[in-house]
Amino acid sequence: MTTDATATPTQPTESASNADARRTRGRFHFSDDLRPVIGALIFLIVMMAIFTIRAPDVFLGTGIFTAVFLSLPLFMILGLGLVFVTTAGESDLSFPSTVALSGLAYTVVFVRWGFWAGLALALTVGMLCGLINGLLVTKLGLSSLITTLGMNFALAGVTQVLNNGKVRLLSGFDHALIRRAIVGSIGPIPAQLIWGLGLALVLGLIYHRHRYGIHVHIVGDNPDAGRAMGVNVERTKTLAFVIVGLCCAVSAVIAVLLNSTYYSTMGDGYLLPVLAAVFVGGTPVGGGRGTIGGLVIGSATVVFIQTGVVAVGLDGYYTSLGFGIVIVLSLLGHRWFSGRLTK
Amino acid sequence: MSQSLTSGDSPVVELLDVHKSFGRVYALEAVNMSLYPGEIVSLVGDNGAGKSTLAKIISGTERPDSGSRVLVDGQEVRGWNAGKARRLGIETVHQNRALSEQQSIYANVFMGRERTNRLGFVKRKEEIAETEALLRRIGYSSKVWTPRSPVNRLSGGERQGVAIARAILFNSRVVLLDEPTTAMALSEAGEVLAFIRDLKAQGKSVVFISHNPWDAHAVADRFVIMGRGRVVFDGPKANMTTEEFIELLHGHAKSGRDR
Repeated sequence: MTTDATATPTQPTESASNADARRTRGRFHFSDDLRPVIGALIFLIVMMAIFTIRAPDVFLGTGIFTAVFLSLPLFMILGLGLVFVTTAGESDLSFPSTVALSGLAYTVVFVRWGFWAGLALALTVGMLCGLINGLLVTKLGLSSLITTLGMNFALAGVTQVLNNGKVRLLSGFDHALIRRAIVGSIGPIPAQLIWGLGLALVLGLIYHRHRYGIHVHIVGDNPDAGRAMGVNVERTKTLAFVIVGLCCAVSAVIAVLLNSTYYSTMGDGYLLPVLAAVFVGGTPVGGGRGTIGGLVIGSATVVFIQTGVVAVGLDGYYTSLGFGIVIVLSLLGHRWFSGRLTK
Repeated sequence: MSQSLTSGDSPVVELLDVHKSFGRVYALEAVNMSLYPGEIVSLVGDNGAGKSTLAKIISGTERPDSGSRVLVDGQEVRGWNAGKARRLGIETVHQNRALSEQQSIYANVFMGRERTNRLGFVKRKEEIAETEALLRRIGYSSKVWTPRSPVNRLSGGERQGVAIARAILFNSRVVLLDEPTTAMALSEAGEVLAFIRDLKAQGKSVVFISHNPWDAHAVADRFVIMGRGRVVFDGPKANMTTEEFIELLHGHAKSGRDR
């Protein structure tokens, strides 16, 4: 081929430059990836400022931060998986029971064969639960919302039956080294926060920079386009469910180590706060978009509400009300923040 | 490689005796069609005439019935499918454009064929630079959007431009455009026709499928008119005027109905 493409450029049209003018309005320019993260961060800062004004002696100390950082990683790690599934255009409501079942797997194996075997089985069980969800949704074409709702009940049932109502204490076992490494503390910072942030970094790189992460965005946005261009839509979605399972297992192992106890309802109480963390963090329900950085901030927002509501002197009963207000406000904030800058 | 159709060239793609039936319905019957290097073929016909089915067979998304033969560079290709078509340099611009509109322009250009390192991480700088060069090459630049802007910031014509740009990038030799100007404003359709002429200028062959006889006439070197699953006319544009072409088209549509 001898012709040079640059020889025949199309003429720049009048209408194009008019369109350009229409689009140059916002004075600030954040990249589109960064915008929801900044939105979530502003929201967290405002919320913390209000808490600090109302209860300065609590929020200006380090004690509350250490306390919050103990449980923050558990919520954050679960949210990481959910960002993948939500971006892929699906939902997963089965993660609380997956936590309980993989936690049981860890506990039972740990007492006989030790930490590493327990960890391996917990990860296997978690990922297997995710695989089942993924195959049900992609192979049978079932709605993920309903399928995983059913799976949440089913897995809770399996866990109850297998555990037989026991509370398993792990305090008598000699695993101080493992405990110190995973749930110990470095100064005032709990070790699990470091592990959680490390996992967020790895999954964040995969989500934002890896071919797989790019495909997750595409299948959540326009699966037909992806299919036409050679993206394996079914495999991409299934793997997103597997990632949720993996995150469940990691979170479960940390929780069991942290409390030195296993009980089969350990996953309860995660469902709504974790979903809230995903949305408050700037990942929309519709699929095709999302942010791991925003999720980290969103988890902090959610966990600080629980503590903050009590710290400012309100009754613990107000926590739910606080949640509700924060979720609605933050969604409005995200829309206002990105609307003003994109329209 | 010659720019214009000369008798010395051999066809890039040849369809010989292609049949396609869906159950008892014949969508294509004994279709023969050749595509030569550097020519634009306008594939036209009434609704249900079989042009979409033919397009799907060329792009590999539908498999022709047994007995049909598909030749690329004179060699018969067995087990024709979309993957083989793409590997042999046949790119399709789908009717719905197949864009993921919330993603960036460069992510769309490289969709399904990301440039990655050995671990599978995307080489963003490389993809962005290539997208920028590509958009500049097709005479396409903007002060406001960059390769990193999401596709939903672009106009309809610009979006079609991205879909066409994507088809050029991977050393394609044949570009198949399925109704690219449908539901477009006149100025946008004009942009798209300019893109199609650029493709030809780069020595690529183009199959342009359209409902619109004016667009089809404007860019074509040759017309293939379909009627009831058969090729009813196959000839060069030469000196044919738009009016003569429309008359020809209506004549065939009418005879097809009377048959």
